[in-house]
Amino acid sequence: MSIHAPSEAKAIPSPFMALVTYTLRSCIPVKRRIGILITACGAVLFGALSWALEFNQHESFARVAGQGIFGLILPIATLIIGDAVLGAEIRSGTFLFTWMSSVSLGRIVLARWLGGSIVAIATLVPACVLASVVAGASETAGPIAIGAAAGCLAYVAVFIAIGCVARRAAVWALAFVFLFERLLGFALSGIAQLSPSWESRSVFLGLIDDPPGFMVRKGIPEGWSAVGRLSLITLVALGIARWRMAHLRLDSAAD
Amino acid sequence: MSPDAIPDLLPPPVGPAIGNDPAFVANPNVEVRDASVWFGQKVALSEVSCSFGAGVTGLLGPNGAGKTTLMRAMTGLIDLKQGSITVEGRHPRQDRSVHDHMALVPEDEAVPSGLTAREFVRYRAALHRVTDRHAPDATLAAVGMLDVGDRVVDGFSKGMRQRTKVAAALVSNPRVLVLDEPLNGADPVQRLHLINLFRQMGTEGRTVIVSSHVLHEVERLADRVIVLVSGRLAAAGSHRAIRDTMDDRPRHVLVRADDDGRRLGGALLSLPSVAGVSVQPNGLVVSTTRARDLAVSLPQLARQLSIRLQEVRPLDDSLESLFRELVR
Repeated sequence: MSIHAPSEAKAIPSPFMALVTYTLRSCIPVKRRIGILITACGAVLFGALSWALEFNQHESFARVAGQGIFGLILPIATLIIGDAVLGAEIRSGTFLFTWMSSVSLGRIVLARWLGGSIVAIATLVPACVLASVVAGASETAGPIAIGAAAGCLAYVAVFIAIGCVARRAAVWALAFVFLFERLLGFALSGIAQLSPSWESRSVFLGLIDDPPGFMVRKGIPEGWSAVGRLSLITLVALGIARWRMAHLRLDSAAD
Repeated sequence: MSPDAIPDLLPPPVGPAIGNDPAFVANPNVEVRDASVWFGQKVALSEVSCSFGAGVTGLLGPNGAGKTTLMRAMTGLIDLKQGSITVEGRHPRQDRSVHDHMALVPEDEAVPSGLTAREFVRYRAALHRVTDRHAPDATLAAVGMLDVGDRVVDGFSKGMRQRTKVAAALVSNPRVLVLDEPLNGADPVQRLHLINLFRQMGTEGRTVIVSSHVLHEVERLADRVIVLVSGRLAAAGSHRAIRDTMDDRPRHVLVRADDDGRRLGGALLSLPSVAGVSVQPNGLVVSTTRARDLAVSLPQLARQLSIRLQEVRPLDDSLESLFRELVR
């Protein structure tokens, strides 16, 4: 082997650091980044839209945030990210470059989740805070930031789990958002309690002053209790992802 | 690759076949026992049993024969429906420590997006806890990719992607290397370079398993051949040994002599080892089921007829012809 090793070669990082860096560098290609930015802009637009409602700015933004930001923007943006950090890689056939190592599957799942969550939080939390400022309800910036951050962490974990369970992960993730959360979650509070969308909305509503009464759902914890529920959802989703990753069938991309 | 680059490798080189079964070797690193895989109604592997030891082994077969499935099962990427595969005595699907000493170069063109070749190899080095910071550049140099190490892998040609994946596989210094069509897309110079690299790794004591559809290159590359056809083990051994075991199958030999061929052709038909003779513009094509007998009796016959033989050459002593006969 002819070695031309330059003396300035950088030190090789630890496996976990490499996994997180790889997730940030490789898993989210340009098209997906554009998609995430568009949805983040959508959050700000929802903030502007609140001016069109005939309530005071506090209530108008609470309504817009509850329906638009937590019901639509948050799941779509995190779906783009959550699918990218695992499901898309499994489909493309490149995940084997990560899987074929002695790094534990738990670490791989954790690193992918951490990388995806960093992207989601870095993009969506500022967008949500900006939306509250644009809406003239800057007093809700803290609660919406906490709700969005907790929702991002849970959603990315859920979509990683779906990527480990289902072959067509993006389709199943959409079904989870629109059928399970929106449709069943709207009708049944038992389902809503398992939903990152409803729970993150509940974080927000529980932490602001005077939330619109009709938006508060009985049987769903609010505020910091909802953060606890989202943490539980996150842990369970990561556990499922870890368990399923051991059973993945890593066919070639064409299969 | 220089020997000092792989300090933890052990001889011995190519293990001999166990007993009379050429599908198995002594001191195997990879053992496949009754391996079966099916996807729905499609049987990809059916009760395949063989083993792989130090040295280069070619895994051959036509498209859909089950080569990629076997390689993916060996590396733990897919589970067997029946049977077992062990790598250095461990199950590659259950014991992840196997991957410290094993690497795969997949056939797929897919590569991680947005990374340079150097970053990709460094990523693989990090996952394998390689501490030598120069190892990524050394392996890129070994496959002739150091000069383009800072280019994004997505923009590479197929051959360059394959070589980058080979570098990513070698960076962990694996004892078992599984290469699925590693020469795809490489230009002739690079093919030769890679063939020499793989051969050298085999002689250094690694278990190198290579599949390829470029069969004449595998003949140059592999010490031993495992042939899969329709998911089943069809043959094993050196390609000549495989050919020798197929005595009941017709072989074709070109015979050129200093007459017009009719006299010799007529006399050849009287031999019990000859199944048929056809006169071609470049000589006689003799079909035989017992090549060794023909090799003995042909010179005797030519002497009796006072005919001088100019050329005797097997026409189908290649792996391509072997495939054709095995799948017939």
